[in-house]
Amino acid sequence: MKTPLFGPFESSRNGHHALGPMQHIDLPMRRYQDADEVDYVIVGCGSGGGVLLQRLSRAGLRVVALEAGPFWDTERDWVSDEAGSHKLYWEDLRITGGTDPLAFGANNSGKGVGGGSVHWAAFTPRFHPSDFEIYTRDGVGADWPISYEILKPYYEQLELEMPVAGPAYFPWGHPHGYPYGPHPMGGVGNALIKGCSALGIPVSIGGPVAILSGSRADRPHCIYRGYCIQGCKVGAKASTLITHVPDGIAHGGEVREYSMAYRIGLGKLGRVSGVHYFDRDGAAWFQRAKAVIVAGYAIETPRLLLNSACPGHENGLANSSDTVGRYLMAQAGNVVLGRFEEPVRMYKAPPAHALTEEFYETDSRNDFARGFAIQTVGPLPIAFGKQMVSAKRAWGWGLRREMMDYNHWASFGLLGEILPWADNRVTLSEERDQFGISVPHIAFSLHDNDHRLIKAAKNKTMEVMHAAGATEVVQEARYAHLVGAARMGADPRTSVVDKFGRTHDIVNLFVCDGSILPTQGSANPGLTIQALAARTADYLIAQGEAIFTSNKRDMTEPPMRRELAPPDTWGHGVPRVK
Amino acid sequence: MRKSFRKHAEGQPLDLDTSLLPRKSGSGEAIVPSEQPGYYPGYSTLSQQAYWDKATRDLVNDRVQNIPRIRYFTGDSARFWRAVLDHVLPQTDRVAERCIPLLERIDERLFHNRSIGYRYEKMPPDREAYRLAEIAINEEAQARYSGKYVDLPQLQQDLVLQVIHDGKPAAAKLIWKQMSIGRFWLLLMQDAIEVYYSHPWAWDEIGFGGPAYPRAYTRLERGEPEPWEVEEEPYEWDAPRYSVSDTTEATNHLHTESRQNEFIPDESL
Repeated sequence: MKTPLFGPFESSRNGHHALGPMQHIDLPMRRYQDADEVDYVIVGCGSGGGVLLQRLSRAGLRVVALEAGPFWDTERDWVSDEAGSHKLYWEDLRITGGTDPLAFGANNSGKGVGGGSVHWAAFTPRFHPSDFEIYTRDGVGADWPISYEILKPYYEQLELEMPVAGPAYFPWGHPHGYPYGPHPMGGVGNALIKGCSALGIPVSIGGPVAILSGSRADRPHCIYRGYCIQGCKVGAKASTLITHVPDGIAHGGEVREYSMAYRIGLGKLGRVSGVHYFDRDGAAWFQRAKAVIVAGYAIETPRLLLNSACPGHENGLANSSDTVGRYLMAQAGNVVLGRFEEPVRMYKAPPAHALTEEFYETDSRNDFARGFAIQTVGPLPIAFGKQMVSAKRAWGWGLRREMMDYNHWASFGLLGEILPWADNRVTLSEERDQFGISVPHIAFSLHDNDHRLIKAAKNKTMEVMHAAGATEVVQEARYAHLVGAARMGADPRTSVVDKFGRTHDIVNLFVCDGSILPTQGSANPGLTIQALAARTADYLIAQGEAIFTSNKRDMTEPPMRRELAPPDTWGHGVPRVK
Repeated sequence: MRKSFRKHAEGQPLDLDTSLLPRKSGSGEAIVPSEQPGYYPGYSTLSQQAYWDKATRDLVNDRVQNIPRIRYFTGDSARFWRAVLDHVLPQTDRVAERCIPLLERIDERLFHNRSIGYRYEKMPPDREAYRLAEIAINEEAQARYSGKYVDLPQLQQDLVLQVIHDGKPAAAKLIWKQMSIGRFWLLLMQDAIEVYYSHPWAWDEIGFGGPAYPRAYTRLERGEPEPWEVEEEPYEWDAPRYSVSDTTEATNHLHTESRQNEFIPDESL
């Protein structure tokens, strides 16, 4: 065995909670007692919950985040290995049905501090201005209760906080540039550039992706090892575990790991009073709080609201509109694979490093509304093998043969907008999980517009792959991301929360995660979730005690509080943002 | 059956049935089982493990060195599934001590009842799926070749599985009514793939770079190898004569996941 100069690499020492090789948290952190009435309990410490914890703690509020999974030590817990990364994913039982059932687990659901941002590929495109008004423009889906302009400063801010690497000029939607330089191309990105260029399609090279192209403070640059969705041991890829949670803890916030919320408590005057949860041994606890923010993502958030049904709220909390669980969305995520004569070795470079949004908008020449993006993806061997089963019906010797050819393949993922439909829905099944909590049932079925869009997107993506020089092109149909199921809106009869994430029914109960999105565009949702969380935090901070004491619903936009961002993430180095 | 693949001494006649071995294209000559099939001779990911982080090194070494004993499947079921897996991901091109243990890992998953986080409405829990499929595949073997699956000749075992793969069973209609045959096939394939292609010997076979933290990959473009990887040396080969699995069929016309995997006719639009 060849040995590095200073011997084999070892893991972190005891007493340190490593977050990548350079950053660490020294536990213990503050620990509230259940009897303490904290200001906010946040359910779920993922993309939304992590940002909220950081902002609210920095503003001096008393905050506990209940997280169903572990608080990672990335050196000890994470591996460069596909099969060894299951613990990053939400793998508790869910029942999936409808005519087009969704896959969960590794496909779209995180568990543990950082949530899905631990295993996202970290593409961070913004939504387009059109996304906020597709009903007005095209008569489909729904309008948002806010415009792009409202969210824009938060997009800019979160792009700095993560930060995002990408081109200096990004031409689609509202054109903008990125604070960190674009990443070098891998073989897959080169194929996308070649294919798009041959067809006259503009392409964004080297991002936008929330992966450091150069080191910053206590985080190193990307080493192009390709295991992004197995968790970034390097610490180059942004997750709220490393970007926001440490600052939240440093300012008195508590993250309580292995705490599975199962019911929101309803107290006096129609207000919520805290959250019931199980610890890892199955013991039941109740954390009192003046207000509750649910940030469990598009399945666990509606599941918790529905499981919190009680007298006066027989259909679940915040569900007078019968909208909780409805309008669940996933994006079409067909993977198009192309074989090239020369080796590609697509396991190198981040899966996410180039894309085109040229087909994002509604085009009157199409027979469908809205559109799609084409992005690089980089399946590792296990994922690739499964794709060959669906895309080529390979098995036995045929599968062994395809796999021996792994290094010759490149792959693109399309990201197609599926519209929100009332019958795409999370409900409670008869089955119980390991805690005795009702297991969610998810029904998902495509509608006509979705079918037309996916066919066109699949064909266009295959055309690009051919144009890149692939001698064989195949595709695996699948879905990516989850949003909706507790959507925001101006009308309490057709939505769950208002434009700040406050539930229409209960004044001190909020939702702040992907489930509040009314539509999804064909952009990866992570950046938008974090931008919305920062804005909701600003609102809560501006409202102060009124959240805890008043029944008035102040709909004034809050001032943006840049000074509450993690230190050294803004204010210099980027001329456009002061 | 596996006894027939014992390692042979150099120069000795093969102690195995050459109709089960892949062949060199052109000459048709059997390819002798080796320690490392594939196009990357001499490449070894494990030889690089000093450059891996400790957690990854420990995990991968444990995977190679500690093979769990069978605890979930009974003797008959273990024999049955081993005979199925020998066709789902055949390894007759590997010498016995370099075969990747598939059944033991699938047994381990079922023993711990470890889920992947969801269950299709059209599927029973995984343990039940394996139980029902064993019955159904044996009924298929009985209907087509009048024998239990494990007693059939190799080619007929392949043919029985091909029927399941194609979603066109002649027998066990009741079972396939309560369990989607396409979803079962996918479950079986995914379980087998997850075990085989998580093994470093499989990474060597396909030229996958494997773990690269903290060292990094540096040659991102043009598919060129790192200094510690090797160039590809491809060769042409044909599948064994007594096999039918070396065919593929692109499903490019099927634009949704359920159409690709559940044999649902495309009625949209």
